Amino acid sequence: MTRPRLRLLGGVCAGFADHTGLSVTTVRVATVLLSLCGGAGVLLYAWLWVTTPNCVSPTIAEPLPKTSLARPGRSPDLLPGPPLVAAPALAVDVSLNRSAPVTEILLGLALLSAGIALVASRLGANIPLAVVVPGIVVLAGIALAWRQFADVRSGAAQQSSALLVRTLGALVLVAVGILLFFVTGDSPNVWTVIVAAASVLLGVIVVIAPWVLRLWSDLADERAARAREAERADIAAHLHDSVLQTLALIQQKAGPHSDVARLARAQERELREWLFTGTRGGSTEPASDLAAALRRIAGEIEEDFAVHFEVVTVGAEVGVRSSASPESNPSGGDAPESLVAAAREAMLNAARHAGGAVSVYLETGARGIELSVTDRGPGFRLDQIPADRLGVRESVLGRMHRAGGSAAVRPGPGGAGTEILLTLPATMRTEPGTAAPPATPVPTTRAATDENQTDAQQTETSMR
Amino acid sequence: MTTPEPIGQGDSARAAIAPSAASAGLRVLIVDDHSIFRSGLRAELEADIIVLGEAATVDAAVLSVIDLQPRVVLLDVHLPGGHGGGGAEVIREAGPRAPHTLFLALSVSDAADDVVSVIRAGARGYITKSASGAEVSDAARRVADGDAVFSPRLAGFVLDAFGAVAGETAETTEELDRLSARETEVMRLIARGYSYKEVASTLFIAAKTVETHVSAVLRKLQLSSRHELTAWALERKLL
Repeated sequence: MTRPRLRLLGGVCAGFADHTGLSVTTVRVATVLLSLCGGAGVLLYAWLWVTTPNCVSPTIAEPLPKTSLARPGRSPDLLPGPPLVAAPALAVDVSLNRSAPVTEILLGLALLSAGIALVASRLGANIPLAVVVPGIVVLAGIALAWRQFADVRSGAAQQSSALLVRTLGALVLVAVGILLFFVTGDSPNVWTVIVAAASVLLGVIVVIAPWVLRLWSDLADERAARAREAERADIAAHLHDSVLQTLALIQQKAGPHSDVARLARAQERELREWLFTGTRGGSTEPASDLAAALRRIAGEIEEDFAVHFEVVTVGAEVGVRSSASPESNPSGGDAPESLVAAAREAMLNAARHAGGAVSVYLETGARGIELSVTDRGPGFRLDQIPADRLGVRESVLGRMHRAGGSAAVRPGPGGAGTEILLTLPATMRTEPGTAAPPATPVPTTRAATDENQTDAQQTETSMR
Repeated sequence: MTTPEPIGQGDSARAAIAPSAASAGLRVLIVDDHSIFRSGLRAELEADIIVLGEAATVDAAVLSVIDLQPRVVLLDVHLPGGHGGGGAEVIREAGPRAPHTLFLALSVSDAADDVVSVIRAGARGYITKSASGAEVSDAARRVADGDAVFSPRLAGFVLDAFGAVAGETAETTEELDRLSARETEVMRLIARGYSYKEVASTLFIAAKTVETHVSAVLRKLQLSSRHELTAWALERKLL
């Protein structure tokens, strides 16, 4: 049984009606009638109010969503935090708007009774002030406590000082009111003192109860979140141990060129992505750094071709600067988008013409970015490509040249296959956008000097 | 991916290093908690590799290693049992009591802390489980010959961990916290997917020299107190 968001007072009658299937009106009439029988209805109402929870937001009750497995890293439901906090607040906000303004009514009642008592005593009526004054104080106290209660439930009032003042005021008022009842009584004896003490305790409990309840529900939410996290970790561990192993085995057995291996690899990548983003706190935004962009491209190409990219990245993280907004990173440490595009073209070329295992190596150092794509295919030389074939020439070499870097196509290690080497010196990375080609010759990069032994075989780019 | 290359037929120098690797074949033990993987690997391994047995947990693995004294243990990084230390625990427990046994780590994971944990525990190499049977066989033979086996990814990780890309190079050979210029070059080429032979021909050095460099890097990886390595090791309660 839960109390709905749409409510008149506490939502107890509506919740009870919903639970039992009776009509709300019947329940409400019965409650009022019971209240007349010595206040039994009021007690019952208060008891149910305290014990029944609010209608929980769907986010909390929802089990681990299946969709997050199907589309790894896409579902925000797994994120701890924002949904859990936001949803209950929303629910109570709605409920506050729909419930009667109890605080105002109670304060009004207190003022009204004070006024009536004043007027009546002026008119000469014998008003029992000993009862009326404490009654007014108690009404005001309850009103303040109510306000505090509602704020705490909605989580709206986060200014602790205001909350503290109001709570203390409510506490004092309630305590004073209860005390007054007995102190102003005619003949104080042991029993009235005991009852007064009990009453004060009761008042304190009444005021503190919402806080305790709130803490309790927070604790329960926290526990639920932790349980979900543990469940997720269990699933992750299980997948890691069993499914990934099986997928690795399938790839091993099937060989790099088969469809089965490709499927298995795609599945493995999705699973890894899901496991990885989960442990990282579930960041799902598209990768903006160069290494992640390369991995994504590798994944996309692997889906279409019988190829397996071994992507190894070394060095500091480097972002990708969009050519549309060259000022996106004023510090200028980012790689231009054209480098990613050129890398993609080089990888696509390797996938199309060589296939099998292709190594992609990215090194980002102080001197610049170096990216090599090495395949073990038949290999090709630039001068053997017909002039009208623009694939590599334009989209890899030309692109790198315009971005201020250089590209080289040369035979792979041991003379087999092809190695496409893209280099972008650090100075070029600071220039905004993809400017006009530099007038000076392409600077010799560290990579070129490292492998200057192969210069004899190397077909250095000198396009346009 | 390193392409398999035939290793030293009748190489007397290697035979001296590896006295228990008899010419009859290389005796290995497969340690993995998945029977599918064990049987798959067993079927895939090449003919000259003799599988002495299999073990599925840390405790069983420690017992088997001490009992069977294999030359090479193909060791999964994640293993149930023991004190929860996985493959690294097997190496630490069984290593001292099996002096001629070498460990080659196999894992589906290429997370840095997994790599560091087994390498620092004493594994002589690290390859991923997607490697083919021929590649695993080749790696096992290399390990048995006293060489270190580095996958491209491990090489990339080493470059990162030692700050080699940032331009740090060791001045002396005794320095454990940085790679020498030559070691950096070798690692860079391995990370690019070159085999040892291709690294050798690219750098115009002997294949044996490449192996020496790789072994030196492995030693640094095991002994270095670089804070990146120590932090990972501390995380895994290795120190």
